Parts: sequence; C-alpha cells; structure tokens
Amino acid sequence: MKNTIKVERAKKNWTQEDLAVKIGVSRQSVNSIETGKFVPSTLLALKMAMVFESSVETIFQLEDTD
Amino acid sequence: MDTKMTPFNKVVMFAALWFVTYTICFLTLKKLSPDTVTGIILSLLPVITFALFIYSIIKGVASMDEVQIRVQMEAVVIAFSLALLMIMTLGLLDLVVTLNKEDWGYRHLVPYFFIFYFVGLIISKRKYAIDNEKHD
Repeated sequence: MKNTIKVERAKKNWTQEDLAVKIGVSRQSVNSIETGKFVPSTLLALKMAMVFESSVETIFQLEDTD
Repeated sequence: MDTKMTPFNKVVMFAALWFVTYTICFLTLKKLSPDTVTGIILSLLPVITFALFIYSIIKGVASMDEVQIRVQMEAVVIAFSLALLMIMTLGLLDLVVTLNKEDWGYRHLVPYFFIFYFVGLIISKRKYAIDNEKHD
C-alpha cells in the first residue's frame, strides 16, 4: 500500500513529530507508516485523514501487489 | 513537578522488585537450607512480585501505540521461538548426554528468556527504526 503522507505533510509544513502529536502516536509510528513498513489501523488512517482535511483514499492507495 | 510515574518506570520498578525478591529467596534457599514448608513458601514468594511485574507490562503495552505494540509483539515472538528452540535442543541433548544440573537446572534457564526477549527487541526495533536520512 502506498501513501501520500509526506506530500500532505509538506503541504501543511509539518514535521513527522508535528503529525505524531496531532494524531496521538509516536514519531516512530508516523515514520513506519510513511515509509510503508507498517499499515495503520482504520482508526489511525481516519485520524490522519481528519488532520490533513482529506479522505483516507487520497492518503492511502492500494497497489497491484496488495 | 509532575511526580506521576510513566508506564515504563512502573515496569522497571516492578521488575526490580521481582528481581530483589527472587534473589533474596534464592540466596535464602541456597545458603540457609530452610525446612520444606518454609522452602516452598520462599519458592512461591516471587510469584507475587512477578505477577505485579507482568501486570505492569500489560498495562504498559495498553498505553502504547500500534507500531510500539507491533515491536513488542515481534520481540516476544522471537524470544518465544528462541526459548522453544533452547528447551527443545536441551531436551534432545538430555537423551544423549547427561546435562549437569548445576549448569542446566531450571533456574539457570531463566536469564536466557530475558536475553532472548532483548535480542528480539533489538531486532524488531531496528526493523521499525526511524529513517532520518529520508524523512525529517
């Protein structure tokens, strides 16, 4: 699964730490999700969509291999 | 000043409490050779502090986020596999050679379980480590 978290962060000029604080997780979690090491739960994906004022589908997209 | 203990500090405190209880009971049993009833009581005493230690770990895990829980889960899976491998190998070896109880008794295996957990923790933490080069 690919994501556009880095792009969305750049639009808001947020660091990973800023995003982590806003969605209530550690920076390690944000980094792992952003780099594709970890697939977040629905709850966390929805929280991200909420803080980015976007939709989950915009932030996370399925790949052919998924 | 905020004096509230973090879940991690609680785990460390209860781990230390269990370790001290275990060591005292072990040394008392080893050096003083008490009667059977006292010996059984002393053998079971660390169960109480160990239960508190495990309870603090469970509470600590509940306060973690998804990735931190995954790190802990993978560390435990690695530790469990290594522990199972060790017990299985010792079990097979025991059929061929006589293992010295003073080297391979039950109590000698305890530290290995902790070592295996920390090995697992190092491996899983590296897997989910922050990549500072690519991301700020």
